[in-house]
Amino acid sequence: MTLPLEKPDFFRVSELFSVKSLFEARVHLGHKKGCRHRLMEPYLYGCRLEQDIIDLDQTVEHLQLALNFTAHVAYRGGVILFVSRQRQFSQLVENTAKGCGEYAHTRYWQGGLLTNAPIQYGPGVRLPDLIVFLSTLNNVFQQHVGIRDAAKMNIPTIGVVDSNCNPSLLTYPVPGNDDTPIAMELYCHLFKMIINRAKDKRKHMELLPSAAPPHASELLKTSN
Amino acid sequence: MAGSRLERFGTVYSRVRDLMRSGVIKPSQKPIWFDVYEAFPPKKEPLYVKPHTRTATKKQEPVPEIFYREDEIRAKFFEHYGSGYRSFLLHKPDFVSTSQRFVDKYMELKSRGELEEAALFEETGKALLAEGITLKKRGAPSVSAESRESRLTDMSAEEQTVGAGSEETTDTADTTNTHTT
Repeated sequence: MTLPLEKPDFFRVSELFSVKSLFEARVHLGHKKGCRHRLMEPYLYGCRLEQDIIDLDQTVEHLQLALNFTAHVAYRGGVILFVSRQRQFSQLVENTAKGCGEYAHTRYWQGGLLTNAPIQYGPGVRLPDLIVFLSTLNNVFQQHVGIRDAAKMNIPTIGVVDSNCNPSLLTYPVPGNDDTPIAMELYCHLFKMIINRAKDKRKHMELLPSAAPPHASELLKTSN
Repeated sequence: MAGSRLERFGTVYSRVRDLMRSGVIKPSQKPIWFDVYEAFPPKKEPLYVKPHTRTATKKQEPVPEIFYREDEIRAKFFEHYGSGYRSFLLHKPDFVSTSQRFVDKYMELKSRGELEEAALFEETGKALLAEGITLKKRGAPSVSAESRESRLTDMSAEEQTVGAGSEETTDTADTTNTHTT
């Protein structure tokens, strides 16, 4: 159980993407200078003709941490919830969640969803162990209520923060573009792949008769 | 399940760790993500940051503006020839626009070293013409931003003579191209 935690990159997250693939997906494009959030300034590379450019070196590190965290949580059988209030990508996010066997919430977030869950859904509800925000703003350009609620219920959060978002309450923020379709498709693809990979590894580990470390690592090497 | 709902004090991790240390959360109820967070902590702790109500007084490190040496060449190109007749096909990753070809040719001629600024400009135009790209010159040259009244009259005169859109350029280092019709 603790074996995957000892290795720095057990799920080979760094092979899934590079700075070039992020650039081609236009992840580095931010909003205009006037929309910039004060707390996003450290994550910005610069400002080209009033449009903010996000520093992709930092994005790569943050995205690797975030994907690694999701992979480990999925490996341990955690419940992951995808949230995005952007209407144009709701279909994509729901299909992503279906594709990796996790959950998505792209509709109106009711006030007591997390904080009042036992009463709204019945006693003994299992809350998500990780919430992934593919866009941290709601339709009125304010911070999504779910970020604050997850912090209240002690649930870690991962979020794609654009240059007009507040990254302070997110456990693993990922600075990047959240408005372009190609960027969103990239994120959804990455999350789906890493969760499926983590679940497959979990199945491999369970199928072994005894989880002896050297034998397990050999088997994983041959099966991958 | 016990928990602490104070999102403004400390991070998610610190609250859960302290609850476990004090015995409110039993080790059997430890959250799944706790060990993972300890093994791979984020770069910056997710503390709640209070929003500033006063106007920002720190101006030490604003986000730097991005400009390149080639921007001067691009500014002169757009001022002289207007926005190119060929549209920017940005969905191709290796697309080279008219202005970019101009800039590349300019740098190449500059590295050969014989000519100076004004002559270089003409030479690049001729070289591109030789390669088969025709560059339509704009009628009137650029107007400075100082005289607004003369700019307005010039703009109306331009619209009559040229017929294409008009652009405004400033003489300072940062050039912004706005297309007005």
